[in-house]
Amino acid sequence: MYLIIRLYNRVVKYAMTDSLTATFAALADPTRRAILARLADGEASVTELAQPFAMSMPAVSRHLKVLERAGLIARGRDAQFRPCRLEAGALKSASDWLEHYSRFWTESFDRLDVHLREMKRQKEKEHEHKHNAR
Amino acid sequence: MSTSTTQGSAASTEMEREVVITRVFDVPREMVFAAWTDAKQLERWWGPKDFTNPVCECDARVGGKWNIVMRQWTGAEYPCGGVYREIVPPERLAFTNNATDPAGNVVIEGFTQVDFAEHAGGKTLLTLTTRAKVFDEKMLAALAGMHAGWSQSLDKLAAEVAAK
Repeated sequence: MYLIIRLYNRVVKYAMTDSLTATFAALADPTRRAILARLADGEASVTELAQPFAMSMPAVSRHLKVLERAGLIARGRDAQFRPCRLEAGALKSASDWLEHYSRFWTESFDRLDVHLREMKRQKEKEHEHKHNAR
Repeated sequence: MSTSTTQGSAASTEMEREVVITRVFDVPREMVFAAWTDAKQLERWWGPKDFTNPVCECDARVGGKWNIVMRQWTGAEYPCGGVYREIVPPERLAFTNNATDPAGNVVIEGFTQVDFAEHAGGKTLLTLTTRAKVFDEKMLAALAGMHAGWSQSLDKLAAEVAAK
């Protein structure tokens, strides 16, 4: 959890936005984190999830929808119970993927920046030479 | 927004993600655009630090191909490439981008658009929008301790919740 929050902070520092914002937004809420922690023990129905929080079923359903959209949980097809379970891989994969992909571009852009500064210096030098030749 | 989907068995897990990255470069956009479309320049900056590009070809025309082989300091090679879909100098570039791991497995299938906007003071605001389908199972196979890492995260999550 800490790692992911730290990763998020770093991403923000690089002025980068992405669809994973939904995942992180979902994780930012303590109730939703508690729901995830509960689901780490095994799947549960909406009723079971609502119990410890003294929340209405619609309120819990709203939290579940956010978690589901963020890919953090999956819900069963049983129309009545729709048990929820943790999508363990989604969170881990998301952070790995983000790590890889954001690093690829930000490091490429660091190098592009160095390259462009070098090109600019060369151009200025050429310009100076032409000017002095006149 | 997030379009994370999990399909079928664990062996065929895929995700599609979109990332937007912006960056200001201290030169006019014609120069930034050229750095993307001139193979000699592209070769100098493409890829993470400590990578070189022993192969770097780009045919910057709509329908033209680009092909880069990135080499890590360890000697591992990561080929990537695609096809140009849109070229509007010096404003926009769009291309498909696919990447394979050193074993030849496709790990990323993506589409990338790069917009070059004029920015105050003769600078360029670059906006890169990239959508990628990630075959994370293959990608993660290269990462040791995946399960250990995940259960540690869960432990931390549980501890954090317990502390409240």
